[in-house]
Amino acid sequence: MPNHQLLDNITHKDLRVISSHHPRFGDTASYTNIFCSELRQVQGCYPIFFRKNTDSAQFETIALFGFASEENLFLDETGWHAPYIPLTIQRRPFLIGFTQQDGNEADAQALVHIDMDSPRVSLTEGEAVFLAQGGQSPLLQQASAILQAVYQGHQQTRAFIDSLLQYDLIEAVTLQVTLDDGSRNELGHLYTINEDQLAALDSNVLGQLHQQGYLQHIYMILASMAAMPQLIEKKNRRL
Amino acid sequence: MDKAIRKVIIVGGGTAGWLTAGTLAAEHLANTESGIEVCLIESPDVAIIGVGEGTWPTMRATLKKMGISETEFICHCDASFKQGAKFAKWVTGAEDDAYYHPLVLPQGYAEINLAPFWQQHKTDMPFADAVSFQGYLCDQGLAPKQNTTPEYAHVANYAYHLDAGKFAAFLQQHCTQKLGVKHILDHVTAVNAAADGDIASVATRQHGDISGDLFIDCSGFKSLLLGQHYQIPFICKKHILFNDRALAVQLPYADEHSAIASHTISTAQSAGWIWDIGLPTRRGVGYVYSSAHIDDAAAEQELRQYIRPALGPQGDSVALRKINIVPGHRQLFWHKNCVAVGLAAGFLEPLEASALVLVELSAAMISEQLPANRAVMDIVAKRFNDKFLYRWERIIDFLKLHYVLTQRTDTAYWRDNCNADTIPAELQALLQLWRYEPPWHRDFSQVDEVFPSASYQYVLYGMGFKTQTRPTARRADNSALAQQHFAKNAELTAKLLRGLPANRELLNKIRQFGLPKI
Repeated sequence: MPNHQLLDNITHKDLRVISSHHPRFGDTASYTNIFCSELRQVQGCYPIFFRKNTDSAQFETIALFGFASEENLFLDETGWHAPYIPLTIQRRPFLIGFTQQDGNEADAQALVHIDMDSPRVSLTEGEAVFLAQGGQSPLLQQASAILQAVYQGHQQTRAFIDSLLQYDLIEAVTLQVTLDDGSRNELGHLYTINEDQLAALDSNVLGQLHQQGYLQHIYMILASMAAMPQLIEKKNRRL
Repeated sequence: MDKAIRKVIIVGGGTAGWLTAGTLAAEHLANTESGIEVCLIESPDVAIIGVGEGTWPTMRATLKKMGISETEFICHCDASFKQGAKFAKWVTGAEDDAYYHPLVLPQGYAEINLAPFWQQHKTDMPFADAVSFQGYLCDQGLAPKQNTTPEYAHVANYAYHLDAGKFAAFLQQHCTQKLGVKHILDHVTAVNAAADGDIASVATRQHGDISGDLFIDCSGFKSLLLGQHYQIPFICKKHILFNDRALAVQLPYADEHSAIASHTISTAQSAGWIWDIGLPTRRGVGYVYSSAHIDDAAAEQELRQYIRPALGPQGDSVALRKINIVPGHRQLFWHKNCVAVGLAAGFLEPLEASALVLVELSAAMISEQLPANRAVMDIVAKRFNDKFLYRWERIIDFLKLHYVLTQRTDTAYWRDNCNADTIPAELQALLQLWRYEPPWHRDFSQVDEVFPSASYQYVLYGMGFKTQTRPTARRADNSALAQQHFAKNAELTAKLLRGLPANRELLNKIRQFGLPKI
């Protein structure tokens, strides 16, 4: 069981958190969840796809970091090399937990929790979570803002994906990459925007997608494919 | 005679009526001006029989064609996954006597017949386990797919167990709201004949005479149009398949975490067999037996013995429902402008869930070959009759196969079942042939056989039938290829046992999140 604790300034008064990136802090996954609010920044660095959540099988938008599981081509011993790091990575080791009041689910409150098993949690290294008098440190204030964005991001992105599914705008894609050593790599379980379907949409639907801001999201995702050659190049350099 | 067929009247609103209505309405655009008109008359006085809690894998395509979401179907019809059947105590009657008839074909079935290689090299494991992974999945209570697998797609081929009452209601709603089927709640009081002997209309209590171009009889055992009006004779098959009575009961699970079996369990008794079907919310259990071999009281005792482990002392008092059945079918199914589907056409014991699949096949053929006008209807009717007489006969043969291979001699029921006088000639010939050649594609001539030769292999070799090795050599030696397929099956088995969720776990996930469309 993961050890997620509700954060408070008594239990966790001496806690420190390491914000830098290193393989030993567990940032090695080959993709992460991203949200509509960050599509513009993400598409400049990483290819964006859809993928089914392993637990719920619901579609999520992801940024791709590598071609094998536990392969993050942006990460090495000296840090994470990209101008933008997605929110779900930035939030670590903090996360949102829901605390139920009187067992009433509707009243559940979103509160900041911390993953005590995370290698980022320390008593000696990194930045303090609470100030000496118990106030929130700048690090915690920033983490709270990120968590807020993640919380909203889940809901906004859910609505965006539902809309894409409604108009059959998502299709499966198999990524075939041939590397400099001649090896062929195939990546499955990925989905992308169905461009034929997009081109066939009538103006009413297009107008509606535009009003919701979804049309821009769609083109951000399509534009992110320009980041693919760079990802392949990174892989070739590691051969 | 060249009047176009535009209006189809379906009499009866059980699963047969609604499946037929939905299949026709979806294909022939009943919800548009240019399509046909489909009208279903359902008597408010007649309860549906609700037989058939088990389906064939064909049901997936049938529902998909009707535009039904699998998630909605599973949630509304209390459906669960079925990966085949386990037959217990059919061979010797011993406690450990059991074999599987899985729904996946044997490994490599398109290119190689593994049966002879299994008999030579692999008899240390059951036939079904040597050539397919599905028995293992059933033993472990695993689902046939993952929650990421799209609707109707499979990892392991599957069918459904469902609540027949809920299924009819669900289909009714879909047919009337989405597919443009007109629903009339009324009692049919008479059939009005035209001068040429066709049915001109049916008279109803409150809606007067309802006319149509084609009448589909889905009125159940009554067979209102084909049986009662046209007097098409019923051909009884009780001399082959003895079972004519059933006692049914519903059992609760111990709690909401109890495993849901992903296969039908069929356990042989002294004069019949007990079905055991796991739905998400309850088990459906029943004893189907031969009244000539056991009286009702003794049958009830055997059934209560079976349910005692699940119900405890309560099992001795829980109410049982008795159903009388006459195994057999009509001499013809399509006569003049009337065709019967479902129980109105015939009924056989539910040993291999043949009831709903016959409804689907009938509806599909009526829909695909829907006569353009009355002039060509007799041609289609003849084709339909030929095809379905063949199908009923093959199903009867296949059901009988389960009985004739038994080694049980403990009761007259099992001994009588092996009496040559009760075995159809066609089946006897095949059994004789299979002593020297295992069943293969060529044994069954039609492209759309209800039971493929693979099903015969699973039952034959599951029950210990021996096919002798040919005394002379043949050119092709496929033993290396056979070993590859045995190895491939072992590999697939290990992989799927690791990757598939528990049946209940997947059904819970579907209720929570739904299955993805793509």
